[in-house]
Amino acid sequence: MSDNQFVDQLVVPGDVVLDLSSMANQTIKLGGGLRQESDAISVTKAGKLRLSKPNKYWVESSQKRYVPSVEDSVLGIVVDSRSDNFIVDIKGPAVAFLPVLAFEGGTRRNIPKFEVGALLYVRVVKANPGMNPELSCTDASGKAAEFGPLKDGYMFECSTGLSRMLLRSPPCPILEAFGKKISFEVAVGLNGRVWVNAASPSTVIIVANAIMRSESLSVAQQKIMVEKLLQNLNIST
Amino acid sequence: MEFVNPEGLRLDGRRPTELRQIRAELGAVAKADGSAVFEMGNTKVIAAVYGPREVRFEYSMANFSTGDRMRRPKGDRRSTEISLVLRQTMEACIMTHLMPRSQIDIFVQVLQADGGTRSACINAASLALADAGIPMRDLVTSCSAGYLNSTPLLDLNYVEDSAGGADVTVGIFPKLDKVTLLQMDAKLPLDIFENVMQLATEGCKAIATELREVSNLMKEINIVGEHKAIGISARGIKSYARWFRLQLCPDCCYTQFLSP
Repeated sequence: MSDNQFVDQLVVPGDVVLDLSSMANQTIKLGGGLRQESDAISVTKAGKLRLSKPNKYWVESSQKRYVPSVEDSVLGIVVDSRSDNFIVDIKGPAVAFLPVLAFEGGTRRNIPKFEVGALLYVRVVKANPGMNPELSCTDASGKAAEFGPLKDGYMFECSTGLSRMLLRSPPCPILEAFGKKISFEVAVGLNGRVWVNAASPSTVIIVANAIMRSESLSVAQQKIMVEKLLQNLNIST
Repeated sequence: MEFVNPEGLRLDGRRPTELRQIRAELGAVAKADGSAVFEMGNTKVIAAVYGPREVRFEYSMANFSTGDRMRRPKGDRRSTEISLVLRQTMEACIMTHLMPRSQIDIFVQVLQADGGTRSACINAASLALADAGIPMRDLVTSCSAGYLNSTPLLDLNYVEDSAGGADVTVGIFPKLDKVTLLQMDAKLPLDIFENVMQLATEGCKAIATELREVSNLMKEINIVGEHKAIGISARGIKSYARWFRLQLCPDCCYTQFLSP
């Protein structure tokens, strides 16, 4: 099968990864980054081709730009507020709307007040192409579940690939290594924004810098970097 | 003037069917969603892609704008023509139906011009779009070819271009094998034109393999731009500072990255 050589390989737009004429009567499921052109499946986004047996293919790519999709947890910044929605920027092609009542126990009488520039941890509820996405500060069952405004701390931007790596399980080596020695809070948005908070500013700086630099390092290199940073932190405190 | 000497070498020592040295770097503009610097010999072009994003007031944006350091007025005929041509080429390759009601801005700046600027702009814009993750049918690659001293020449530099001979610029989808751009200055007899266009198309395919290698290597290294350390960074972080800006020569980048 011609696709075997492409799975887990880096592909570039235009690469033909599957030739349907040579595969009879199989159902293939195509995820993001792939397109069907009569008999050939070709790539539309640069990234790594992944296969989930038996028949799901998709391209994993990492960009700065975020494409909103349903059930993603993202970090949004409030840009404006209207009578029935907050206008929130989530780094996508269009600003998103957060209904004023989409909070746990939200009624017309206890509408939260957010300033312009407030950072929120929200969940994407609707993301149709051509329409503004809709957000919510509750999970599917209506509970608050850690969604809502994030106070203090420091927010920085990264690529979508790094956010996915930080959120995977088993936990990413950086977070695990730091977690054993220092205490800090981190919120990761799939839209390429990460928020870090800790008791002292030097801890926040160290964790934030380490996360920013970890994208291109392998697991072993990440652990070495974290050890070096922790040593320096112990020297300075 | 002799552009191809009796041994078959051109003014800069190349053979008639040899491309100039290609260099490319992704992620050069930290603020843009995707960017690329593309060099073909002495011609150097930087492209930055923003989008898709909300459609804004049209006054400040032309979807393509090219210019050189001398800041010619925007209405100058050559720039408008090149902008239009490049826009049509990229429109054919971006899948705009997946992104309704949004706009994609591609800014291209020619840093050094030594012939083949149109082709370099298209190659840089392709790489920048791939870097930004905008869905595309295929990379667009472009190359120019000419005909001097009765020899078809690939990838003209400025001296050869201004010699008054024909200059054919071809842009193709390398994998789909379809032509998206075909332009020619001056005149050529039809049979010679076929040879010259064939040569330019092959040049495009050679550039496509180079671009593919470059963007694959850049994806592995995952460079998304410069990150500035906040506050006073601990000493340990400094040793990692040079993992970032890699000037990518396809042959030597791997060894540069691996050395600790």
